[in-house]
Amino acid sequence: MNNSHIIDILDNAALAELTETQLASVRNHVDACPSCAESYHAAVLTSQVMHARVAVQVEPSPFFATTVLARIREQQPDNLPAMLRLWRSARYLVSSMALATAALAVLSFVVPGPAVGSSEPATTAYSAESVILGDEDELSYEQVLSTIYPEVEEAKEK
Amino acid sequence: MVEEAAQEVFLKAFTQLASYEGRGSMEGWLTKIATNTCLNMVRGAKRRPEQTAADLTENENEWLDEKLSSVANAQHRSAERDLIAADLADRVLGVLSPEDRLALTMIDGDDATIKEVAEVTGWSESKVKVRAFRARRKVREAMEKLIGVKKQQEVDLRTAGD
Repeated sequence: MNNSHIIDILDNAALAELTETQLASVRNHVDACPSCAESYHAAVLTSQVMHARVAVQVEPSPFFATTVLARIREQQPDNLPAMLRLWRSARYLVSSMALATAALAVLSFVVPGPAVGSSEPATTAYSAESVILGDEDELSYEQVLSTIYPEVEEAKEK
Repeated sequence: MVEEAAQEVFLKAFTQLASYEGRGSMEGWLTKIATNTCLNMVRGAKRRPEQTAADLTENENEWLDEKLSSVANAQHRSAERDLIAADLADRVLGVLSPEDRLALTMIDGDDATIKEVAEVTGWSESKVKVRAFRARRKVREAMEKLIGVKKQQEVDLRTAGD
């Protein structure tokens, strides 16, 4: 077996892929041929370093996922108008505020409050001044009647 | 560089997810993306000139010494020694083109078949075979040269000592 043949066997396939027959013939030849022995030795070392290279495992840094997600966000299309982007970021706040305002408005109109602005004539109303000064004791009987029954008084006038 | 490549692969997988038609396996699709990404990154990196023993680090020299003097045995194997061997592999693989390097790493390192490499890279099987053959020869010759220089250095040292 000549040298070139051994070298062809070594270069043709990975050492791990060589058949038993091929390996036996290589070893037999290597024992008798120092030049091929060097080539074989180099091939064995190369195979070892190659396997060591592939066996190296690299642990990702703790921020790996964050970095990848940030890069994905950067890559996403950013051609939306500024107002639309503003709306997207603030829409939940704005809609919740609008909802709260509407609820308050409904509550103000629907829930009954104290009666204000009744249709009593101005003459029958007691003024704050008259109450404070205690004028109510001096009201005449007719005045009291006209206050209680304003329609009767109106009918009399007619 | 490995983490950079992994980031790139995840990013591409996310942005190209719509292009996955579900014909092959998801793993195969991801492997293709990873292979192309790594190949492009290696292409972008500067190729190393052929290494000599003088370029090796102290650890790499020591590792080669151990191997050459046949002292290496099971007790010398450790994670650290494997890392040194991996660095040495990078140095030797630096003489190859990115494509040859990919073929050799997958076949000789990862024990992938010619067919698997062809599927992942999109090259024909004969092209993969040629690349692997050429790469194996170049790397073996580079290693032989390193061993030769190391041996010569030892001889020189012994002569100087005498």
